[in-house]
Amino acid sequence: MTEQNRDDMTLGALFQAAQGQAESLPDPLFARILADAAEVRAARATPAPRAAHRSWLVDFGVLLGGWPSMAGLATAAVAGLWIGVAQPLALDGFGLVTGATAAGFELDTLMPGVDVLASGD
Amino acid sequence: MQMPLSDTQAPGDAALLLAYGQGDLSAARLLTARLGPRILGFATRMLHGDRAEAEDVTQEAMLRLWKIAPDWQEGQARVSTWLFRVTANLCLDRLRKSGRSVALDDTDEPADDAPGALAGLETRQRLSALDAALAALPDRQRQAVVLRHIEGLSNPEIAEVMDISSEAVESLTARGKRALAAGLAPRREELGYD
Repeated sequence: MTEQNRDDMTLGALFQAAQGQAESLPDPLFARILADAAEVRAARATPAPRAAHRSWLVDFGVLLGGWPSMAGLATAAVAGLWIGVAQPLALDGFGLVTGATAAGFELDTLMPGVDVLASGD
Repeated sequence: MQMPLSDTQAPGDAALLLAYGQGDLSAARLLTARLGPRILGFATRMLHGDRAEAEDVTQEAMLRLWKIAPDWQEGQARVSTWLFRVTANLCLDRLRKSGRSVALDDTDEPADDAPGALAGLETRQRLSALDAALAALPDRQRQAVVLRHIEGLSNPEIAEVMDISSEAVESLTARGKRALAAGLAPRREELGYD
């Protein structure tokens, strides 16, 4: 057997001895590693708290149904404002009651000018 | 308490890691028992027998594994390969920082005073001689030889760990083995191999 072969066999035997070593982890290290695993798991389970507070306006908007509804609401509000401001002069003739003291709630009071509409004038 | 191993029906490493990612701590326990010793052994050899440093590295490597668990893609890589790679990089970082790339002569050897421990003593002497010879190798040669001939990784796996080609791995292991054999030759008789 050549020197080279002998060296290779020695090395092979040593490698085999090292492979068979397979010692287990020292208990304290094992415990530390598992503690880390538990800590990482716990951190994943409870996400970090939300940072800044949300504006109450955002919450109100969400309550009303989000931006599409808010947009519709805005449009209606603007339209209403326009109608109120741009009141035609002809409406004066409908007899809008001012300072009425009538106790009864006749249709005429609830809907001022309804008699005019009914008559067709 | 460490769980016993070797169950042919045991789930694979990836399955265990995914289970841990879902919150199963017992999977983490199994993985630690299964992979921890190999990582510790590898790190100890990479760090010239410095056990304390090797334990730190082992804990750090496992911590990184716990953190990556939810993102683990099955079939992408082997968990052990990934872990060896992380461990190797942690070891190389520490070696670079400490300025230690060459072996120290005074590696700590555990004393064995137990009576009737001759067989164990012979094994310990042989392993000590091997570790000393390994410590004398350049870091990359040592890494390749340990992964191949002690940890049993294939050349493609080592290539993945070291981020080099399979051919480069073969070259490193060949050179490493030649250097080891040369370093151990004078001690062959002493170690009982003649």
